[in-house]
Amino acid sequence: MDIHLYFTLLPEALVASHLAPEEFGKYQAVGVHRRSSSQSLFFEIDPDFDSGYLPVRELSKRCWPHEHGSPRKSTYLGIYRVLEHLPVQAFGDLYVTTDDGRVLRLEKSAYEEEGDSNLYLYQEFVPVQPRVASSLPPSKFCRYITDRNQPVSVDRIVFCDLGLDDLAVDPVNGHGDDLPYGDLAHLRDCLSSVWRKGTKDVKVVNRFLRRQIHFRMIRRGFFVGGGDEMLFYPMPSKEDMESVHYEWWRSAQTSL
Amino acid sequence: MMNLEPLFWLTPTSAILALIFAFFFFRWMMAKDEGTETMQRIAAHVRAGARAYLSQQYRVVAVVFVILALVFCYMAYGLRVQNPWVPFAFVTGGFFSALAGYFGMRTATYASNRAAAAAQESLNAALVVAFRSGAVMGLVVVGLALLDISIWFLVLNHFIGDDGIPGQKLVIITTTMLTFGMGASLQALFARVGGGIFTKAADVGADLVGKVEAGIPEDDPRNPATIADNVGDNVGDVAGMGADLYESYCGSILATASLGAAAYAAQPDMQLKAVLAPMIIGALGTLLSIGGIFLVRVRQEGSQKQLGAALSRAVNLSSLMIVFGSLGVLHLLGIDNLWGIWGAIVTGLITGIVIGYATEYYTSHAYSPTRKIAESSQTGPATVIISGMGTGFLSTAVPVLAIVAGITFAFLSASGWSFANLSGGLYGIGIAAVGMLSTLGLTLATDAYGPIADNAGGNAEMSHLGPEVRKRTDALDALGNTTAATGKGFAIGSAALTALALLASYMEELKMAIARIVSKTGEYVFPNLDRITSSEEVHALDLTTLVDSFEVNLMNPKVLIGLFIGSMMAFVFCGLTMQAVGRAAQSMVDEVRRQFRDIKGILEGEAEPEYAKCVEISTKGAQKEMMIPSSLAIIVPVVTGMVFGVAGVIGLLAGGLSAGFVLAIFMANSGGAWDNAKKYIEEGHLGGKGSAAHKAAVIGDTVGDPFKDTSGPSLNILIKLMSMVSIVMAGLTVATSFL
Repeated sequence: MDIHLYFTLLPEALVASHLAPEEFGKYQAVGVHRRSSSQSLFFEIDPDFDSGYLPVRELSKRCWPHEHGSPRKSTYLGIYRVLEHLPVQAFGDLYVTTDDGRVLRLEKSAYEEEGDSNLYLYQEFVPVQPRVASSLPPSKFCRYITDRNQPVSVDRIVFCDLGLDDLAVDPVNGHGDDLPYGDLAHLRDCLSSVWRKGTKDVKVVNRFLRRQIHFRMIRRGFFVGGGDEMLFYPMPSKEDMESVHYEWWRSAQTSL
Repeated sequence: MMNLEPLFWLTPTSAILALIFAFFFFRWMMAKDEGTETMQRIAAHVRAGARAYLSQQYRVVAVVFVILALVFCYMAYGLRVQNPWVPFAFVTGGFFSALAGYFGMRTATYASNRAAAAAQESLNAALVVAFRSGAVMGLVVVGLALLDISIWFLVLNHFIGDDGIPGQKLVIITTTMLTFGMGASLQALFARVGGGIFTKAADVGADLVGKVEAGIPEDDPRNPATIADNVGDNVGDVAGMGADLYESYCGSILATASLGAAAYAAQPDMQLKAVLAPMIIGALGTLLSIGGIFLVRVRQEGSQKQLGAALSRAVNLSSLMIVFGSLGVLHLLGIDNLWGIWGAIVTGLITGIVIGYATEYYTSHAYSPTRKIAESSQTGPATVIISGMGTGFLSTAVPVLAIVAGITFAFLSASGWSFANLSGGLYGIGIAAVGMLSTLGLTLATDAYGPIADNAGGNAEMSHLGPEVRKRTDALDALGNTTAATGKGFAIGSAALTALALLASYMEELKMAIARIVSKTGEYVFPNLDRITSSEEVHALDLTTLVDSFEVNLMNPKVLIGLFIGSMMAFVFCGLTMQAVGRAAQSMVDEVRRQFRDIKGILEGEAEPEYAKCVEISTKGAQKEMMIPSSLAIIVPVVTGMVFGVAGVIGLLAGGLSAGFVLAIFMANSGGAWDNAKKYIEEGHLGGKGSAAHKAAVIGDTVGDPFKDTSGPSLNILIKLMSMVSIVMAGLTVATSFL
């Protein structure tokens, strides 16, 4: 049986499994007996790298089929400080799984900066999970948050950017009533504080991920990296969602 | 046998034409592409479920009908306190109503996959398939109703002899015909309550476990209750609505004919015309409805607005034509007070339109009341419930005032602008209801079209058809939601007018009952101790004298007691039906959870759920739960009559009508507003799907489901059934009032 290596974001863990990504996503979302449901985000990781911290060389020893021959669904290899020990080159495709186990595969793509001066809302996943308002575009945000010269920083980060409607250009008067985030007044305050140039670039909106992610609100996609090294996993266009990935898109919108 | 006006023959002719066109539309629909194998398989599941439900429902109802028919036989031939035609009239009323429901639902379940397949071609193709399939229901209902009325009129005209009292024969014929309305009403109540419980148990069960617990989308074939949910749309919104309006339609025509016979008893020539006028106007409306059906079409790819305009064009044009056509009919009949009676018909039409628009205003998210409910969801489910109930309460004002204005104008117009002409004015109210329902063939088609479009959307979804197809079926479904809300408003409005006409007809039925007692015992003593000893004296009684003799006034505690009981009935009935939905939904939730747990591979889409089991649970739940509320509607008027007499019954009917009418509007509108507030959020406003506002709105919608689809619509029938039971039991009431 093939052994796959996955890096899960909710929670941060390195997991070995005999399940292919689609199966693993379903397993993560709804379990074996289908009595639970939750979102799942994970990367497929190329195990061909050396690490003194993560036991990637012991995959076959740790992940073996069950005695009756069925595949092993998950063997946890690490649950703490995993991201900082994974080389960026080892990151394969990203799998975004809905509550009922529909899996969407996202591939890496070249990142291009948007030529605007909008505001951004980022949801961080690993290693910490705050939701952050920022005036920095994704690449600059990634560099900023992993900059060791800043008072607070992390080695690497996984995050996505979330839609802001009109608040992206005018957090005070812009129309934002159709946004699904709780406490809109607080969000406006946070965005306003980074809107005034010269004061601060980043403001924490929520200190941790309070509920599930509204996948439909992900604007451009997911970002992984540290310093100048950043991978970009774009979300499909709305047209593609409604046609090519319709089952996933429908499920993603049903989550309550 | 009296000579009939040549125009009478328009009634059976239009009935047969309606049935021919219904058959033509059915055949036309059946010849359409059935879609892929998956589409056919899904439709077959829904069809089998609907058939299973209906056969079980009809078996239960048949038992009740047989028992009641035997009771009526005993009362008619044993005790001789009832009209001997009642048992047969009762059974045929129920039979034709059931037949209309069967044909309508059969057509709807064949049409959904065909409409979805047509949506692959164009929006217009899908609209025409869905609408003409809905038209089968509309035309079958009016066709069978007019046929039943025509046959009974001809049969009774042949068998009932002239007893020498001028005008008496038509009074006997029309009051006898009125009793077949009880069969239609009882069947309608079973269809509405049973269908309403079925559909909401399935809907709530499917949503609670499927969407909320398992996180799977609506209309997903992995959900075991999905097929039951689709079956429910058919049994509740097609068969239930059809049976409801069938009995309203029959009730309005028959009550008006009865009032016409009484109002013009002294003028036999005019009397026949007054009796035939509602039938002929119904016939004309049927012909116009057939024409209107062909007007419903859009360009190959019309917009949502054009879809709405296509339906409005047909309904408005037919209504406009009935305004002028009815004037022509009255002119050809040579009826007295032509302009006054025509004014009453126009008043009925306008009242229906006003109620329809008011319903749309309070329930559509294009307007502020529903949007405000949606906005209140941002502060949680409690405020959603509060604002939804507040909107529902407020929404009663316009329909009630419209009915008040309608009754006033119809009465005054037909009575020659005098409140003293009671019988003429009451005839005006009856014919206003006939005017409102005259184009029922078309308005019911727009109603029945809704669930067909809804099922077509579900079929497209489950069959994984392309986004363009789903977009088209979604557009059809959205339009169906609006027409359903308007249709409910129309049903409620017509129920109020019809019930009022039935209340007046009840007084006529009392005269028949007293006449039977006088012929048997030689005298009858009224509660005010007035005594009459001959049938001539009975037939000479006018409405005002009758009311005085039975002491029907607010100073009589029996009337007040009746009013309280009638008002209570509306609320108790709602409570029973809502709790029934809760219990049936709980069984469904348990079953869906069981299937997810026990059948491996359901959620992976590798194993097919046991759809039939969910249909069976909903069916059993509906049959079991509908018995108590339905029985109550029969027992309470009988017991009230036997204990408190005619005064108590009049109080009961008045209390039931006024409380039931307002409560029905409240429930239908608040439920509709909650539903559309949720849809408004799902369109992406106020946070869209999955937001906190959406969760709150979903709770509001779940509460509103039994409001708008079970209890509210059933109230329409409750108020009419209580009147019908009172009419049929008038003999017993007159003979055995204990207090």
